[in-house]
Amino acid sequence: MVQDFHQNFEHQQAPAFFARGPSPFARLVFFAALSLALIATDSRLQYLASIRENLMVLLHPLQVVANAPSQLYQFTNEYFSTHHRLLNENAQLKKQALKQNVALQRLNILTLENANLRDLLQANKTLVESTALAEIMHVGRDPFAKKIIVNRGTNHKVLAGTAVVDATGVIGQVTRTYPSSSEVTLITDKSLAIPIQVERNGLRAIAFGHGRDNTLDLPYLPANVDIQRGDKLVTSGIDGVYPVGLAVATVSEIKVTPDSPFARIVCIPTGGIENHRQVLLVSMPQVKVLTHDNNPNSTNNSKTPTSNTKNNVEKTQPQKPKETTQEQNPNKPQPNNPNKPHA
Amino acid sequence: MHNSQLKFIYLSLLLAFICLLIPWSGIALWLRPDFMLLVIIYWLLRAPNQCNVGTAWFVGLLVDLATGGIFGQYALAYTVTTFVAVVYQRRLVLFNSTQQLVYVFSLLILSQIVLLILKTFAGTEWLGWAYFLPSITGVLIWQLAVTLGLNTGRHSRGS
Repeated sequence: MVQDFHQNFEHQQAPAFFARGPSPFARLVFFAALSLALIATDSRLQYLASIRENLMVLLHPLQVVANAPSQLYQFTNEYFSTHHRLLNENAQLKKQALKQNVALQRLNILTLENANLRDLLQANKTLVESTALAEIMHVGRDPFAKKIIVNRGTNHKVLAGTAVVDATGVIGQVTRTYPSSSEVTLITDKSLAIPIQVERNGLRAIAFGHGRDNTLDLPYLPANVDIQRGDKLVTSGIDGVYPVGLAVATVSEIKVTPDSPFARIVCIPTGGIENHRQVLLVSMPQVKVLTHDNNPNSTNNSKTPTSNTKNNVEKTQPQKPKETTQEQNPNKPQPNNPNKPHA
Repeated sequence: MHNSQLKFIYLSLLLAFICLLIPWSGIALWLRPDFMLLVIIYWLLRAPNQCNVGTAWFVGLLVDLATGGIFGQYALAYTVTTFVAVVYQRRLVLFNSTQQLVYVFSLLILSQIVLLILKTFAGTEWLGWAYFLPSITGVLIWQLAVTLGLNTGRHSRGS
């Protein structure tokens, strides 16, 4: 193929002392075709994922070099932070700890009570999720996508699909893992959807990222839906990706236009999507799919306290939360208001 | 002479790549010039025998890898841009510095337009005119380099 190109364009070339190999146009055609083939392969087929992963390992040393100046700056900044500021921060943290201790005592009682009630109902126990702390290395370099790169990867047993949260709410989901880093798609990205529940009345819906500015949309809700400005949206947990009851967003604007049967609802995420350095990777325990014929004791996963359960928990697909609705997932326990501890 | 020039090409590309890998965020991300393309355009004008469309394609692949986007987007954008640059390269000795600046600016814009078309096919929304800011900062950096005494190939016939 290439040879043909070269031969075709050979006689169009300038005299020999100007010769630069194949003509620019031949090169253009060849490399443009190659790029288009690559684009098609990468966007439609999954062959290149592992190649990309391996190449990223080679890039890692360069990444470390590039990160060095900003890390040095942060280090010196922290090192020279004033005594006064540290004292202030310490006092503030003590106050906060005190407050949270009080709340925690109530939570203990509530957890016990909840466990008792669940036992009485013979319902599933809530699953205990495992968490890992990660630090944001840098923001994604593509202005079109809302992504961040964190410093935990497959070496630290991070899986694609893991939920990412910070102290104030959900941030996003791990979408690509590399050996020592992973890519987190933020909930404001256009391609990410997150199942939510309105804290006030338990209404379930799915929030989509808006993509352009840092907001979320709640599409496909009728114009007369019971949502008010300032309503808090929390994760509903029916997707098996995000744990129940994490803050996601606050409703900031509701527009009802007469020509559309749907309300346009704009929400602002509560998580500090743009301004935190540390994030928490929360992975839901892997639950095996059980059928009614199986003896539950033999197939139990050691991590999941599913003994003495009657209902079976289905493992949901972690990558696609948008397809899971409650109707498709009837076996999961859905108490009417799982967010009592927040109240 | 050629070998030392090749070394400079690789070194400058490496430096530009590290500049790309710096954790840019917020407004800086919007303003970040396309370092790799600037370096490639520079070498295209300066040493067209060593740096051609194929080099640009490989560099574009590297950028694709670093940005985490679909493979081939930057590669195609750089290929088209360098083709235009190479076609007009011999005419460049006649340009004065202002004309050259306009020429570089239009090359940068061209690569962004190709990228925008590809991204639009992939289904992303129009980001607003701020999307073209990197071309402006890129041209400013070019002018800065010229002011600081970088020979951009206009007088390279004598050397």
